[in-house]
Amino acid sequence: MSVPAQRKLLAKPSRTADKVFFAVAKAAGYSSFVIIGLILFFLSLRAWPSFERQSLWEFAFGVGWDNTVTPAVLNIGPMLWGSLLIAAIGVVIAVPMAISIAYFIEFLAPRKIAKITTVIVDLLAAIPSVVLGLWGLGVFTPIGAHWAQMLGETFGGFLPFLSNDTGTYLRSPFIAAIVVAVMIVPLISSVTREIFSQVDKEIIKGALALGGTRESVLRQVILPTSAGGILGGVLLALGRAMGETVAIFFVLNLVFDEYNWFNLLEPQGGAIASLILARFGEATAEEVEALLAAGVVLFVITLIINAIASYIVQKAQPWRRD
Amino acid sequence: MEARLNNVTAVERPKNAQPWTNMGPRVRISSILTIVIPAAVFALTLLFTGMDFMAGLFTVFLPLQLLMGGWAGFYSFGKRGITDGLLLVVTFFLSLFVFVLLASVLWSVIQSGFAALSPHFIYQNNVYVSGKTGLEIGGVGHAILGTIITVGISMLVTVPLGIATAVYLTETRDFGRGIVRTLLQAMSALPSVVSGLFIYSMLILSGWSGYSGLMGSLALIPLMLPTVARVAEESLRLVPKDLRNGALALGAPSYRAFFMVTLPAAQSGIVTAVLLGIARVIGETAPILLTMTLANGTNLNPLEGGMATLPGYIFNYILLGDPTSIARAWGAALVLLIFVGILFAAARIASSPKKAKKRSAK
Repeated sequence: MSVPAQRKLLAKPSRTADKVFFAVAKAAGYSSFVIIGLILFFLSLRAWPSFERQSLWEFAFGVGWDNTVTPAVLNIGPMLWGSLLIAAIGVVIAVPMAISIAYFIEFLAPRKIAKITTVIVDLLAAIPSVVLGLWGLGVFTPIGAHWAQMLGETFGGFLPFLSNDTGTYLRSPFIAAIVVAVMIVPLISSVTREIFSQVDKEIIKGALALGGTRESVLRQVILPTSAGGILGGVLLALGRAMGETVAIFFVLNLVFDEYNWFNLLEPQGGAIASLILARFGEATAEEVEALLAAGVVLFVITLIINAIASYIVQKAQPWRRD
Repeated sequence: MEARLNNVTAVERPKNAQPWTNMGPRVRISSILTIVIPAAVFALTLLFTGMDFMAGLFTVFLPLQLLMGGWAGFYSFGKRGITDGLLLVVTFFLSLFVFVLLASVLWSVIQSGFAALSPHFIYQNNVYVSGKTGLEIGGVGHAILGTIITVGISMLVTVPLGIATAVYLTETRDFGRGIVRTLLQAMSALPSVVSGLFIYSMLILSGWSGYSGLMGSLALIPLMLPTVARVAEESLRLVPKDLRNGALALGAPSYRAFFMVTLPAAQSGIVTAVLLGIARVIGETAPILLTMTLANGTNLNPLEGGMATLPGYIFNYILLGDPTSIARAWGAALVLLIFVGILFAAARIASSPKKAKKRSAK
């Protein structure tokens, strides 16, 4: 009787079929690297002439966009600033609403109402941006302009960022920011809701038993434990708001020649994504290169914001890791 | 057995069970007053001074409601109730604001959309239509077909890729999983216009292809992939590890364990992933505008020629600007929203049994 040869124990797949299976999975996993890499590579490749003509610094912060003069002046400074400004104001408007909704769903509403509310908020997230743009143009712009006029006439005298001497309140960063806020409320609230739902219920009950009130529980238990996650959600929304194209395109007047630093109610602003859409149709070859360069700038900025945001969200959701 | 059960009578729940749900008259009266008084004062102010609604809302209603909320909290729970009252007022106010915005969007789409909607609006194409043509001719039939074709093609690529990515994230122990997950999350907020520029610069500017439906569907892939991959990952993760380990212990190779055990168990989640992915890209406009030309006629060939899609159609008719073309845009927006709504409802139905399992497992 012979002892069979000792079998080697391996954690690695031994069969060919398994090897193929895992290789396919691995390849798919790395495909997201490939896609991001390809995007960066091809955009930069085609945009390179534009970066060669002028420095990146001048391109990103200079003013003017005119292809009729030679050499063409193609700079995105006001657009870049406008994107940041609109996204930031949109986030400022959206955050309180989003957190209230999340708090309402998780801690206040009875289960049935919470379920319905969740569906409604998810539905808001599913509305395509072109439909929101149509709504912004056809329905909201007159209303928003009316609000802006009231704000401007009441506070414009002593708050410089609300002053407006142009006589028209249409197509301003203020209106664009509200439309953007409508878009990102569901995004922030769904992240916040998930974080809220993972707050240990025992701690909350403990705090209540020790004599805490709703408000003190929110302030001292819920918010401190979920602050990181909420911050991540807000950053994700900031990235989404910066990349928003169509909705802003319809409700904002793009002005290329000067920075609109803080006059929220005046009808001049900028947004990189809208610039690309507005100029793409009848662009000259040189202009297309500059538009691609603008795309690179937008992509890099949103990628950085999103990477930081998703890192924070993942840190705040340890249950996601296995 | 049954006879024994018949003898058992249910013990009646005592009246004073769950004392915290039992609101006393003080709480009830003060909360009703908190709602009624500010609303009444607000309505009267609007009536008599002709104040603007929004201005009144923020200068009369909200401060008064806050005051009343604080008072109601104090009246029912003493000093510690004040901040609670304020918190509730602020939460309800802001939440309602979101509902009003959503209702405004939905209502305007439904109201203006139905004005343009008619049977021929669904199936006709737009060959003989210009901006000023009346609504009695022309429709979005070609755009619906175009949307189905472009989204269908990108689905063919994205669904296997997304599910395989989810397999990579759940079944392998590769070192790159954390980075891939972060990248996917970052990709989910990729500006849609950049995705369009990417396909434009890679394929169209290089001369490999003209503007066509295929280019549009390729431009949708980077937008759809993160949604499919993440939702699929979530649902694969919900399948108990023991099931798979059991299959492996019985001698199944990993791929069969996945295809015959894990995948069927996660089926509804995978369906949800696909549906949500479609819902994510069906309304994307910017990538389509940069990679496809809009046709007025029906074109079923994704390889060449212009092709209309619903979002592109909406965008184009908003730009034309005539009242009838705006009406067409609203009609197309309603059709698009109906599509999104159907996908959404289907996703909910597909995912609901899964949710129930998750709950009970906890």
